[in-house]
Amino acid sequence: MGEHAQNIYTLRPVTISRTLPQIADHRLFQLRLDNGCSWDEFGHQPGQFIEASIFGKGEAPISISSPPTRCDTLEICVRRAGKLTNALFEMGKGSRLHIRGPYGRGFPVDKLKGHKLLLVAGGLGLAPLRSLLLYVLDRRKEFDELILMYGTNNPDNVLFKYELLSFFDRDDIKYLYSVDRDDAGIWKQYVGVVTGLFDRTSLSPADTYAVLCGPPVMYRFVVDRLLKLGFAKDHIYMSLERMMKCGVGKCGHCAIGDKYCCTDGPVFNLTEVEHIKEAI
Amino acid sequence: MKLIAKKDVAAVVGTWSKTYSVLSPCMHASGDCVFDSFDAETFTLEYRKPPMPPKSSFLPQNETMFSVENGTFTPVIHHEKTLLFGIRACDLMGILQARSFYSRDMDDVYHRSHAEDTLIVVHACSWPQNETCFCTTVHSGPYAHEGFDIQLFDMGTDFLAEAGSDAGRAMIATEPFRDFDVEDAAERLSRVKHMAHNSIPIVSEVAEAMDILKGTGTNEGVWEHLGRKCITCGGCVYVCPTCTCFNVVDRVTADASGERMRTWDTCLYAGFTREASGHNPRSSQASRLRRRHEHKLLHYSQTDNRGALCGCVGCGRCSDYCPVHIGTLEVVKAIAEHIY
Ligand SMILES: Cc1cc2nc3c(=O)[nH]c(=O)nc-3n(C[C@H](O)[C@H](O)[C@H](O)COP(=O)(O)OP(=O)(O)OC[C@H]3O[C@@H](n4cnc5c(N)ncnc54)[C@H](O)[C@@H]3O)c2cc1C
Ligand code: SF4
Ligand code: SF4
Ligand code: SF4
Ligand code: FES
Repeated sequence: MGEHAQNIYTLRPVTISRTLPQIADHRLFQLRLDNGCSWDEFGHQPGQFIEASIFGKGEAPISISSPPTRCDTLEICVRRAGKLTNALFEMGKGSRLHIRGPYGRGFPVDKLKGHKLLLVAGGLGLAPLRSLLLYVLDRRKEFDELILMYGTNNPDNVLFKYELLSFFDRDDIKYLYSVDRDDAGIWKQYVGVVTGLFDRTSLSPADTYAVLCGPPVMYRFVVDRLLKLGFAKDHIYMSLERMMKCGVGKCGHCAIGDKYCCTDGPVFNLTEVEHIKEAI
Repeated sequence: MKLIAKKDVAAVVGTWSKTYSVLSPCMHASGDCVFDSFDAETFTLEYRKPPMPPKSSFLPQNETMFSVENGTFTPVIHHEKTLLFGIRACDLMGILQARSFYSRDMDDVYHRSHAEDTLIVVHACSWPQNETCFCTTVHSGPYAHEGFDIQLFDMGTDFLAEAGSDAGRAMIATEPFRDFDVEDAAERLSRVKHMAHNSIPIVSEVAEAMDILKGTGTNEGVWEHLGRKCITCGGCVYVCPTCTCFNVVDRVTADASGERMRTWDTCLYAGFTREASGHNPRSSQASRLRRRHEHKLLHYSQTDNRGALCGCVGCGRCSDYCPVHIGTLEVVKAIAEHIY
């Protein structure tokens, strides 16, 4: 034991129990531990990530998409992007891979409790944000009003479509969906960039926390909007994506300013990163 | 405190080399002095600043982290009792800073095992080893305050040996080490230290540049100008005792078998931050040079500094070896004097 247990890079084998195609080049993978172990002991929090590992293809940081309230499985939603993710797409049910984690500082769940929440996701940003969304829904009473804004570039690229559709039956979540373009004219909701959704709902900035996950360009526009609406900087949280190798604050790849996205983040509030030139 | 005659040192190191893998200064036929496995023939005390810091004893240029057989990962943790003989104080500070960084929050077992297995003999400097030394500016030298097992001070025909650990004390307890039992031993040592300290010029631009970087003063011009000159060779990072960044790569020898290793990497390479989508948040050489120098002079961690001024320990090697003269000394001057 000893050294082995203390090795922060130690990998554990997992098995793919199910793959669920999402949209083109995006797939949801359900992972299970050996011997039917529950994911309880993994101790993950919403917003954290794992390093997924396939020997010969390297490792890649992937957000945990499922909440700790659902520990029968661990879900990751992966976009086919390069070496490791391509290899993952070649794998099916029963295939084995390795993971390390959970890593990083996730969403500040305890701070959010008792408050109104505005979740804003863009594209694949819904993957990490879903861990918080489902967590809140599973413990609905512990949170106040919940608003979800989700923007994709077109109607074909909506992730977790059926899950999102199921919210239409609930009155404890307000949802606003947007697409940038709708060439086929099939979209029944808002067409335009996600910030356009702000004109379609009223918010109470004083007691609301905003949580953002999406591409850098979305952060710039949404943050600008939130500040104009009067949100305090420490009430605006976002998950920052950076090239990562180690995930544990040693390799230096994810460093911005004096912060390491993998250990100080990936979730930061605006106060923590606004002074860092390269942050958003 | 103890004394040892310089002429006896090689024999003592030779004895140590029976128990430890000793890395010590060797004079190669070419006239270059490098740190290499102890060899009585080439061992020398006539050396200045070794071209490479002892970084690779703690973070090898390539290090196997796991051996992999049929997809099963087995950690490979190296254990080799090592003795670094004769390193400089700035380089020890580099080791200490790296150790702090690698052990904070979560300890890196590979770095730790090298550190636990290594004894350190510092050869304190009596004068600057060349014109780029600025250890006194950043408080990393010319002699060490902590972290060594033995420290040697040049007293002419003898070295004065100071123990910094129990292991060091035991090593200098016996012949040919002898007691330094003159009444004014402490004074003599402090005189030697004082003279050494005063012989190394202070580079006032370091603190000035650090202040400018801390403030809002713009220095875009510096990075733009230097960014155009940099040929992205990575040399400045590889010779730097405090640069610790690495890449992780798989070396496949057979199907699902081989090694997962880490290799030195640098923030000066475009690929260091380029994401799979092609997006690169640090997209110009100017921004990457800025990152390297801001990491040393602005974004260092106070707790990892180990008493030094910043994340640069003043060894001067980046100024010695950058082919286009973009070392820390040139950079702080450019910032402080608003050259560009
Ligand atoms: C905190 C975090 C969470 C993420 N969550 C998800 C997710 O839920 N789903 C998803 O599909 N993608 C996610 N990504 C992006 C994902 O990590 C990259 O798409 C992936 O690393 C590409 O790896 P590759 O080997 O397929 O590509 P290659 O281009 O072959 O990349 C080689 C290596 O470079 C590094 N790298 C390349 N791009 C990135 C990147 N964007 N971010 C970090 N490292 C990178 C990785 O170490 C990778 O293994 C996340 C990134 C971060 C930082
Ligand atoms: S930045 Fe240059 S002078 Fe400073 S420690 Fe590194 S190599 Fe030496
Ligand atoms: S200067 Fe660059 S290569 Fe060196 S430790 Fe800092 S980030 Fe890494
Ligand atoms: S040594 Fe000089 S040229 Fe090479 S990467 Fe460093 S700054 Fe650029
Ligand atoms: S990914 Fe290695 S330091 Fe953050």
